[in-house]
Amino acid sequence: MATKRQRFLRILIPYFYLSPSIIFLILFTYWPVINSVYLSLFRHSVLNPIPIFTWLGNYESILKEEIFPTVLKNTLIYAIGTIPFTMFLAFSLAVLINEKIGWLRNIYRVSMFYPTMIPMAAAGMLAVWLFNPGIGLVNYYLGKLGLKGPQWLYSMEWALPAIMITAIWKNFGYFMILFLAGLQNINKELYESSELEGAGFFQKLRFITIPLLGPTTVFVIIVGVITSFQVFDLVHIMTQGGPADQTNVIVYFIYQYAFRFWDIGKASALTVLFLIGLLTFIIMLVRNIERKVHYEV
Amino acid sequence: MKKSKLALFILLFIFSFSLTFAGGKPEAEKQAPKLVRLTFYYPVGVAGPLARVINTYVEEFNNTNKGIEVVPVYSGDYDPTMQKVQTAVMGGNPPDIFIVEISELPTLLAMNAIEPLSKYATKEYLADFFPAFLENSYDEKGEIWGIPFQRSTPVFYWNKEHFKEAGLDPNKPPKTWQELKEYAKKLNQPGRFGVTISGGWNDWLFEAFCRQNGIELISYLKRKININDAKAIEALEFWVDLTHKEKVAPPHSTWASTPPDFVAGKTSMLYHSTGILSFLKNSAKFEFGVGFMPANVSYGAEVGGGNLHIGKGIPEANKQAAWKFIEFLTTPQMAARWSRDSGYVAVRMSSYDLPEMKEHTTKHPEYLVAKEQLKYAHGKMMTPVFQKVREILKTALDEATAGKIEPKAALDRAQKQTEQLLADWLKK
Amino acid sequence: MKFKLTNIKNYFKRNLHRLAIHLLLTSVGILTVVPYFWSLSTSLKRREDVFTTPPRWFPIPPTIENYLEVFKLAPFGIYLVNTIIVVLGILLLQIFMATTAAYAFSRLNFKGKNFLFILFLIQMMLPVHAIIVPNYLMIKNLGVLNTRIAMMLPFFATGYGTFLLRQAFKQVPRDFEDAALIDGCSSPQIIINVLMPMAKATYVAFSLISIVTHWNDFFWPLVVTDTPQVRTLTVGLAMFVQQESGADWTLLMAATIFVTAPLLILFIVYQRKFIESFMSAGLKG
Repeated sequence: MATKRQRFLRILIPYFYLSPSIIFLILFTYWPVINSVYLSLFRHSVLNPIPIFTWLGNYESILKEEIFPTVLKNTLIYAIGTIPFTMFLAFSLAVLINEKIGWLRNIYRVSMFYPTMIPMAAAGMLAVWLFNPGIGLVNYYLGKLGLKGPQWLYSMEWALPAIMITAIWKNFGYFMILFLAGLQNINKELYESSELEGAGFFQKLRFITIPLLGPTTVFVIIVGVITSFQVFDLVHIMTQGGPADQTNVIVYFIYQYAFRFWDIGKASALTVLFLIGLLTFIIMLVRNIERKVHYEV
Repeated sequence: MKKSKLALFILLFIFSFSLTFAGGKPEAEKQAPKLVRLTFYYPVGVAGPLARVINTYVEEFNNTNKGIEVVPVYSGDYDPTMQKVQTAVMGGNPPDIFIVEISELPTLLAMNAIEPLSKYATKEYLADFFPAFLENSYDEKGEIWGIPFQRSTPVFYWNKEHFKEAGLDPNKPPKTWQELKEYAKKLNQPGRFGVTISGGWNDWLFEAFCRQNGIELISYLKRKININDAKAIEALEFWVDLTHKEKVAPPHSTWASTPPDFVAGKTSMLYHSTGILSFLKNSAKFEFGVGFMPANVSYGAEVGGGNLHIGKGIPEANKQAAWKFIEFLTTPQMAARWSRDSGYVAVRMSSYDLPEMKEHTTKHPEYLVAKEQLKYAHGKMMTPVFQKVREILKTALDEATAGKIEPKAALDRAQKQTEQLLADWLKK
Repeated sequence: MKFKLTNIKNYFKRNLHRLAIHLLLTSVGILTVVPYFWSLSTSLKRREDVFTTPPRWFPIPPTIENYLEVFKLAPFGIYLVNTIIVVLGILLLQIFMATTAAYAFSRLNFKGKNFLFILFLIQMMLPVHAIIVPNYLMIKNLGVLNTRIAMMLPFFATGYGTFLLRQAFKQVPRDFEDAALIDGCSSPQIIINVLMPMAKATYVAFSLISIVTHWNDFFWPLVVTDTPQVRTLTVGLAMFVQQESGADWTLLMAATIFVTAPLLILFIVYQRKFIESFMSAGLKG
């Protein structure tokens, strides 16, 4: 018995509820992506204040940049060096904490999770102080172990590892909590019945824990990728990309082009390249996971 | 009753929105009529009371100039300050007065961000500034755009106690590159470097070494890039000698880390700005010396620091007021006071003739070193997009001192990259 | 006899097992806590006591002069207020937007529902870091550079919050709504009076995560703000890093401790709630 008008309104209502979110999604997520592509086609910088259309000119000059391969290399090293290792550490610790160890469990959780509460930038400050080659704690204790500590943030080889170590320290607690949540979701009876059949610690791990943590692992990987963007904070505080661009990663490189050299065209082109890389990585990840899930099941 | 909950929700929503808008923009609305408010962006080191010193000066100015209120905005070090200026300019809201690093002048001109100052600065006024300090104020057409304020040169610091330990005369610093190398070898120990050429602004220090070797790295007025000149390569080879061959100097460091390293005794000799002198005096528990940087062909240095600029397009009343403030900061008395408070070189020559200045420099002759070195100093290199040129040069220096690439190859590459980057500018 | 031996063996095995776990966890725990504790200790030392070797864990004499100095040098009080305003502003609007969107996705049917939902999901993978340049230009074009609202705008739409709430709403039994409909309630009233209260746990969890995340935002505020009046804690801290004269470690550490203290104190008091929130959010993912 609804009138045409009422029916029309009823169809519109869901979109009405969605509209605030959609507006902001468009303004700050999707339009920027399109805008980047558009801007990347123009030469627009301090030396060229009036944008000049240059088709793929920006992309060309980026690929010709001497330090571009280094930036790519650093970004990959950072991702591959931190995400899997953090996950492994987090997973192992979650499994251990999940065992029957009494009231100390809370203290462990708090002591490992608290870095999540502090900003990356603050973690960077702590790291600069601890990694100081002359008077920092790290080299002091390395010395006590009989090792000569490297120059860390001032050395070409050890600056990026210092940043990676800081990132791992900052993130592993968060990942660990996520794994713990997944672990606690596993039916205890599965473990009990396997124990009756004589399953030991590692067997339980292999046949029950790991397979059932599939979805959680996927989520952790996604979280890992997203948090790896925060490397900007660490680089900005600890090394500003140096020495000699050995810690310059793509997110920082974009920042340099946009806000230090004021080259909007090139910065946009870099953004586009970055997004393409990200998209490719995500697609590869999803394909890989689909394959694994089907394999397991 | 249910309707009121909805209303409450909407109210809360509006409230949070308005809270965020309120006080969103800096309080430009609250000004009294006819009061000219000037935003003043300045970069000063945080260590030591320099930010407080600036605030004191601003207060004094505001109190003696009732129609003007200068609002000081501390914006970090030179890089972030330049960024903030650029952001403000791009946002159509340039700050009224700001201090940025002197090499940014060409970039500021390209952005059309500053007012020309020739109608405010008289010949007599300018004649009293040290000539070297003015070299970064003029464009090629002879128009003046910036007034020197916090100016420095690099100087040479040495730990007198370490010298005594190593059997060297603590009052005779090395005078030449050769002596520097010898002394560094004698002073070098496990856990302690003989000498440190600070990183971070190592491009600035490299320019000094090039001057000591008789070459100008970049000439702004002549639009010439000399990065791979044979004499520059020699200078870099000397650096690589110290850091990579003899290993008496660390290949990399940061600008902020080396003063504490010096204080902690981790390096016996140090190249750094005269601007850290006060910090060293307050923190070091040992006697240390300050002197000219060792010479090769001759003594050589270039200047550094920041100049005062007036933002382009601000209202006429603001421009007049801004110039008043600049004049206030650069009277011989204020320049002398600023020098005593900070360790920077007083920008006016007559400052050093003032009685309180003479007294101060007699008690603390270290503060005179940079000024004396001005005899051998020139302007700092500058180009458009200088930040990018700096990165190119620093990468070359960093890689060479780490032994990754030969000095000649490093500088050839830097030369090529710079020429490519500035192709349009160099052609004209 | 055999019975007793295997018993003893098992006892040792089990406890050795447990001891090993405790040792491992303790060492990791200590390694994680040490950096913060050392920085706290540094912040309480006098400047000249910093350079002693071997490192002193407990400053003698301790001093709070560094904290006082930090406050004199930069308006950290203003930074704190700004951070609170920004965080709360973001949270309130996120709740509003995620609630309305989640209601649509969980209770209504419309064309393009799946496609639109995917749009929300993709947003989770595109944090503001990845598209900082165009977002910056958007803020510039809107004329709100250097305002608190600028620090909040990109975060109002939250795919993550929408996703979580959609799950939570789906789990609310329809009976309540049906009853409310019979009573003549309108949709918004249902949302406010039925769905939101029943999803309270999810709201709490999401709020805690949002607060922690945005309290610690750095890159975006860095890029869109210039002046101390709107600056937040993390950016204020970064200003301490770059200086022309030497790094003043005691000051830097005092500033760092101050910036991190509020959330940490809240965390230590409400640890259970915080940890549970992050855990539950992960599960739904």
